[in-house]
Amino acid sequence: MTTQPTDTGMSRRSFLRASTVLSAGVAAVAAGLAPLRKLGEVGSVDEFLQKYYKELSPEEMKRVLARIEDEVQRQYGVRPHVRDYKPMNGVEFVYALNLTRCVGCRKCVHACVAENNQSRNPEIQYIRVLKLPNDGTFDMDKADHNYQPTSVPEPGFFYMPVQCHQCKNPPCVKVCPVKATWQEADGITVVDYNWCIGCRYCEAACPYFARRFNFTTPSIPKEDINTNMSYLGNRPRYKGVMEKCHFCTQRTRAGRYPACVEVCPTGSRKFGNILDPDSEVSYILRHKRVYVLKAELGTLPRFFYYFDV
Amino acid sequence: MRNYLRFLWRCAGVAFVGDWRYYAWVGTLTALVIVGLNAYAKQFVAGLEITGMSDQVSWGVYIANFTFLVGMAAAAVMLVIPVYIYKNEDLHDLVIFGELLAVAAILMCLAFVTVDLGRPDRFWHLIPGIGVFHFPGSMLSWDVLVLNGYLVLNIYICGYLLFCRYNNRKPATWFYIPFVFVAIFWAISIHTVTAFLYVGLGGRPFWNSSIVGPRFLASAFTAGPAFIILALQVIRWATATGMHDPQHPHEPPGEAPRAKVKRAANPGDLERLAVHLPELETVSADERRACLEGATLLEAAPGEVLLRQGETNKEAFFVVSGRVVVRREEKGRIRTTRNVGPGEQFGEVSAIAGTPRAATAFAAAPTEVICLPEESLRRLMRSPKLEEIITWRMGERLMMSDRSLLILRSIVQVSMIINVFLLANEIFSEFYNSNSHDVSWRYLILGLNGRHALVPWFWTAMALNITAMVILMLPLSRRFKWLNAACIMCIFGIWIEKGMGLVVPGFIPSPLGEMVEYQPTMNETFVCIGIWAFGLLCFTVFLRMAVPILQGELVRANES
Repeated sequence: MTTQPTDTGMSRRSFLRASTVLSAGVAAVAAGLAPLRKLGEVGSVDEFLQKYYKELSPEEMKRVLARIEDEVQRQYGVRPHVRDYKPMNGVEFVYALNLTRCVGCRKCVHACVAENNQSRNPEIQYIRVLKLPNDGTFDMDKADHNYQPTSVPEPGFFYMPVQCHQCKNPPCVKVCPVKATWQEADGITVVDYNWCIGCRYCEAACPYFARRFNFTTPSIPKEDINTNMSYLGNRPRYKGVMEKCHFCTQRTRAGRYPACVEVCPTGSRKFGNILDPDSEVSYILRHKRVYVLKAELGTLPRFFYYFDV
Repeated sequence: MRNYLRFLWRCAGVAFVGDWRYYAWVGTLTALVIVGLNAYAKQFVAGLEITGMSDQVSWGVYIANFTFLVGMAAAAVMLVIPVYIYKNEDLHDLVIFGELLAVAAILMCLAFVTVDLGRPDRFWHLIPGIGVFHFPGSMLSWDVLVLNGYLVLNIYICGYLLFCRYNNRKPATWFYIPFVFVAIFWAISIHTVTAFLYVGLGGRPFWNSSIVGPRFLASAFTAGPAFIILALQVIRWATATGMHDPQHPHEPPGEAPRAKVKRAANPGDLERLAVHLPELETVSADERRACLEGATLLEAAPGEVLLRQGETNKEAFFVVSGRVVVRREEKGRIRTTRNVGPGEQFGEVSAIAGTPRAATAFAAAPTEVICLPEESLRRLMRSPKLEEIITWRMGERLMMSDRSLLILRSIVQVSMIINVFLLANEIFSEFYNSNSHDVSWRYLILGLNGRHALVPWFWTAMALNITAMVILMLPLSRRFKWLNAACIMCIFGIWIEKGMGLVVPGFIPSPLGEMVEYQPTMNETFVCIGIWAFGLLCFTVFLRMAVPILQGELVRANES
């Protein structure tokens, strides 16, 4: 064969041509990546390399909490107190909600947002109140999610607040590929906001629409920050991670009621330790007619609806 | 090892060489990749907020494309099965193309999953050993394993086969056949596992149906081979006009002179051949002498023709020295099918089958060739080793024949019928007995409560799939114009069916009955286009490397 094989031996001309093309390519890629300049503050190396919650030693946890306090102060201008509240021994939390009494005022929704440092813009809410017609169907597809009444309750309807059911058999925990969400000894399913990769598989798995994703960086006005924070609870979240109702771990693990229970004007919301036979929730489960939402899915919620009559 | 690095280096080098069409195609794809990169950079800064996704519809076109492409990757196996299990030689080289497509498709899958992550910087949490891997609990962790495993398997198999071809060595059975069989099961597993991602969610009745897995396989085995049918024709078209060797000066030797017979072949010529064809040693001296009866030694100057397409004569040729190019004229276009070096044979297929010469062979350098009558070839092939090597080489040819495309056609045909049948089953069971499970289906097919964003998508997919199915069932789809139209319809129809028709409606209405619709945003669309361009770019480059190796143009023998 008289010709050169096409691929071997690079002449000077082809080298020059190749390097021109290459540098043009690099320039084009750089131009393409230009939006990254607006990235702003990038997380620290410590944040990037932070270990999984369950693998942190107490000393490491202390450092992590201090770092998070710094982060919050830098971002929101308020010094918070971040603690790692642990489950209490002999406690399993259960929630009971009286459907006969609930008037759909949504005070719980807003108290929850304020307590748990949820993003205000876009606003993230853990509790969704459904307005359902009193027509004997109990059909979710007839639910009104966006009712805007001048006063509640409206005749002909009843209200059904839905939030995380803290399932005993949680589908969200089962599907998480990195175990960033798990069930604690007191029955609360929590999220490690520093471990979640943001795949949103748990959100697809949840039958109660209980999980919320940070589609962008959350924003909370400085004066609205609740400085009593817990690591697995209400500390501010990051862009791109999942969050959910955690029964106000920063309150309930310190012996207080969740914000939604405290604020409810009708006393529809009951909360307590199911392992204590004298607790209010134990009494309700023993004596009231109870309804479990989507019981057929076998998720075994720790959240019960009950009726007065 | 050095040999292997040299092989990789030359493969990489060849990817940068081509004619203007190649540069135009690669350039366009690169530009689109950069557009996608730009859109992704914007998303990286703003968050997934700039997609159309929401808490209600938390997966969109990214996961839709991912699901579709897992199917494309799995479908490569449809080419492997006939070749390795049924020994259908027609599809032999196509296996490598299919597996290269699988590699490109998996790369796209990984890209689509990555852009869907809220925290791509934390991907290391998924790496077993370093992060926390929820296996076997989470189906997503299964998917991570099977997809990456499939990627490695396919890279290994293609790489090994091409490397052997490059060295003109027969692949050692134990080095790849076990992997091929593993890959077959693995391919089915990647798609089944992906289906289980959805099927496993009890809270989503639209997905929680056992027929979704079989439907995934059926649609994958429709869209994958349909894509390969189109890709092969593009390769055929591109190689026909010499896309990969712009500097080839040899015009098709229309009136070129014929090579002259130098003399009768003698045992010394066979000795010289045996240097390049050691298997010849297994033939006894008596047999070899018998072979030489009627054999001649031809001497050809560059450009001289050794045999011409269309002739009928029954000799086989073995190259002793020099190089022979085999070119085939098809529908007015000329395509190099082989580059034959010392120790290799040509013309043996028509010698054995008695068919007219399928191609023209001419010398590309001063060449010596032993010309054996049919009788002698059969005598040589009585040696099992020699028979093996000769038939292996017959099989290794780049055969993108019409026949192989038609075999693929029947795969697409059957799969599409099964796919439509399974879909009909699903729709019947949902609609005949109206219950709460059918709300998403109603929304998808008819619209619900005045919302019908997905209705046009669904009916477009149905129209495409059913038209394609009808065309494929008619004999007219043996004509390529119709076949190609049907293939394009299959690919788009199934892309919609599995994407906007499966991923999105699973979220609508939400588990609490809320109707929130989903439309991809511009930025999201650009990211998708970028990833598709990236995948096509990978596939193009892979083919650019593989085709010359399969044609024998890029071989160890011509290393400089």
